[in-house]
Amino acid sequence: MLQDFLQAYVNKYGFSGYTELRAQQNRNRSVVMLNGSLTANNSGTSRGLSARVVKGGAYGFASGTGYGDDLEAIARVVQTATNNAAFLDRHVQRGKPDFPANAPFTRKDGLEQDVPVEQSYLLGIVDELDSYIAERFPRLLSRRIVARVLDMEKLLYTSDGVVSHSYVPRSNVYVFLTTQDKDGQPVELYKVMGGYGNFLNKFPNAEDLFGDIEKQYEQLILKAEGVYAKPGIQTVILDSDLAGILAHEAVGHTVEADFVETGSVGGPMFGKQVASEKVSLVDIAHDAFGKLAPVPVFVDDEGTLAQDQMLIENGILTGYMHNKESALKYGHTPNGNARAFDFSDEPLIRMRNTCILPGNDKLEDMIASVEDGYFFTDMNNGQADSTGEFMFGVPMGYEIKNGKLGRAVKDTTVSGVAFEVLKTADMVSDTVTWTNSGMCGKKQMIPVGMGGPAIKVQINVGGRA
Amino acid sequence: MKQGFEVKDKALFDAAELILAEIKAIGADEGETWVSRSALTEVYYELGKVSMVRTVFSDNVSLKLLKDKRKGSTTFNSFAPEDIRLAVQEAWQAAQSAAPDEAEGIAELQENLSFSAGEEKPDLDAMYRQLEQLLKDVRQDFPKISFDSIGIEHQFGEKLYANTNGVRLSDRRGLYQLSNMFMAKEDGKTSSFNYFATVYENPAARVCEENRVRRLLDETQRQIVTEQFAGSFEGDVVITPGCLETILYYVTDTYLGDGALISGTSPWKDKIGRQVASPLINIELVAEHPELPGASPLSGDGYVAENMPLIEQGVLKNFSLSRYGAAKTGLPRSRNNGSTYVLGGGDTPLEEVIAGIEKGILMGRFSGGSPSPAGDLSGVAKNSFLIENGQITKPLSEVMISGNLGNMLRDTVAVSLERECSGYWLLPWIRVKGVTISGK
Repeated sequence: MLQDFLQAYVNKYGFSGYTELRAQQNRNRSVVMLNGSLTANNSGTSRGLSARVVKGGAYGFASGTGYGDDLEAIARVVQTATNNAAFLDRHVQRGKPDFPANAPFTRKDGLEQDVPVEQSYLLGIVDELDSYIAERFPRLLSRRIVARVLDMEKLLYTSDGVVSHSYVPRSNVYVFLTTQDKDGQPVELYKVMGGYGNFLNKFPNAEDLFGDIEKQYEQLILKAEGVYAKPGIQTVILDSDLAGILAHEAVGHTVEADFVETGSVGGPMFGKQVASEKVSLVDIAHDAFGKLAPVPVFVDDEGTLAQDQMLIENGILTGYMHNKESALKYGHTPNGNARAFDFSDEPLIRMRNTCILPGNDKLEDMIASVEDGYFFTDMNNGQADSTGEFMFGVPMGYEIKNGKLGRAVKDTTVSGVAFEVLKTADMVSDTVTWTNSGMCGKKQMIPVGMGGPAIKVQINVGGRA
Repeated sequence: MKQGFEVKDKALFDAAELILAEIKAIGADEGETWVSRSALTEVYYELGKVSMVRTVFSDNVSLKLLKDKRKGSTTFNSFAPEDIRLAVQEAWQAAQSAAPDEAEGIAELQENLSFSAGEEKPDLDAMYRQLEQLLKDVRQDFPKISFDSIGIEHQFGEKLYANTNGVRLSDRRGLYQLSNMFMAKEDGKTSSFNYFATVYENPAARVCEENRVRRLLDETQRQIVTEQFAGSFEGDVVITPGCLETILYYVTDTYLGDGALISGTSPWKDKIGRQVASPLINIELVAEHPELPGASPLSGDGYVAENMPLIEQGVLKNFSLSRYGAAKTGLPRSRNNGSTYVLGGGDTPLEEVIAGIEKGILMGRFSGGSPSPAGDLSGVAKNSFLIENGQITKPLSEVMISGNLGNMLRDTVAVSLERECSGYWLLPWIRVKGVTISGK
């Protein structure tokens, strides 16, 4: 747990002008076992201090390693940030006033989650899973087990009196299985488990994962015997993994205010119909559907109290995600989307937990409604564009013929333009599933949650003729 | 510059020696460490203005120790003796629980050397002027371009590798880097985003005078209004240099790297000395090159890297294996397992590369998932143009390509004489025949 040396600094020196002062510690662990060999056995800590100062609308930022009780070292970081702001202010001379002050508050969130886990515990879980897979499925071409922990702890003081101490843990296990198809070509399928929480609680024992691995192996064999999807526009049910990444990559980024400012498709579409009225999309701050969201953010790194940000309401684009500066510019309210990954990173406009809200349809009714199409269940990496154009990999899915699931489908892709695809959504399932393993890249990486129900859409499938 | 081993910052040397002493004292058989200290200065543009000056001071340490071939490793960011002792204990405890792996080890004793390049102190005024000049030039010459962000940074750092076999290597360099993301917009319509990154030593250079930069800005301006086509066809794809770097990274990762060879999934695992690509293909991994200041002279596992051919005239010459990957597979360690690519030997002027194409596309960027272990890949051909009867005709969107990495290298029918350079790579345009190109 980070000790609070910032209070003593503030007591002694106070703040001169708008300032955010943040101590941060990211702790990570990773264990990778490939075909029984331990290829990674790492732990790490990144700890340091940063200050961001705003002078006349010009930002100065500085950071340094070595956070501790040396108040002079803290003062040097603040002074460097102040000097940087002054340098830029001399050049740009914007003369802007400071941001409106937040009402002071103090919060502590998630600190009880700081339960240390030994590296040996991760090794034990991975070793047991590897042994189980090797013994149970001896004909696999390759197997890889990954255990990963990322715990982020932040202590923030702002010049308007906000004090926030937060701890957000993430623990995941990845299982990659590879077999061969009838032509001897390798076929792979991976699954990710876990999410918010410390590793001990998320993975109390390896046996709990055996059932999921059995299902994964069955799916892999079906995939190896599977067929290629037909290319072109198809009726497809995107299960929650794919709906979640569609919400994040293809819609979410285009409604981040900095991207809007540059010229993303989200700009001219504000207030307009961008999706079927069955689609509502929200970036959740910390609580959803009676539970903690995968990546809970209670206070962002500018000291803004985090609230949910509605983005699409019944098909209408109604909101953007902001930091303090962009919110001021657009006349909107900032809702806590300014996030930094490491102590040395400045806050950027980022998503938190982007989710399509559930509808009223049952998944089985959705499948039954498709005469000829696909049910895609898994996604791997994907990318999207300022235009809303996207492409996602689909490593697992099934044909739907006459309302029933058919043969498995080999690796394929889906692509399209987000707002066009979402306008075709005519069924939305009633159950949301979250994923919490993704890192979003935008100058810095940041953990994000993605979620959604299954949605039925018309979408371009990159199959083989 | 290469010279005998010498570390300028004594704090690095002291930290590394203490780490190795602690590794020995705790009972480990072998150990290694990387210790580095750096200062980064950045001028940043976003939300339509030069918005921030940023300074990052960093101390970083990674260490690995082995006991009976059991490995433990950790990273942290302090040179304080008490933090070093805690980190060694953490790695020691991790090693206790690890399974032994005979392939584990550290770099063997070799000549101890130091490398250096660039300037230690950033010229902040010059960086600011360079950014202002870029914005001014783009406003004047490419008025439809809108930058989401531009970062000009100078990073100076010294890093030291040391291990219990007596290896001591260091690298001390200060380089500038420009990175950005931009799009073009007009009348409420936007292009796809695009970007470029450049690493260089002189902040006085005028960025917008570089041909590669002008080409990318110009092409993006012409992609605001795009066309789509229906159906699919087999045609030729001309891959631009920046896009080719992505493809080469995939080739290395899928066919030549540790993961693919240890797992046994690489279709090229027994292809050394065999023809795997068109005779036009010559790919080299580079550790030192006069045009590539971004090349690293040191490998991550404690060796001096060398320039090394991967493919010569289509024949596979080397894998890209680390010391561990080599020991694990029984194959030789590669003299370079980095990612600074040079592809040379092209003799066809770009105009002729395109002139011979009846129907195909010019692909500026590939947006897709990672290839399958067999090398199959499909994705969107971003920032692309239709080529018809030897001419670049229309900007395209929603175009997908699908194919196989190995087949793409095998079916390369032209390599351009012209090359572009980012400071990290030096690459031409290549033309690949018979790729499946699908429209909407």
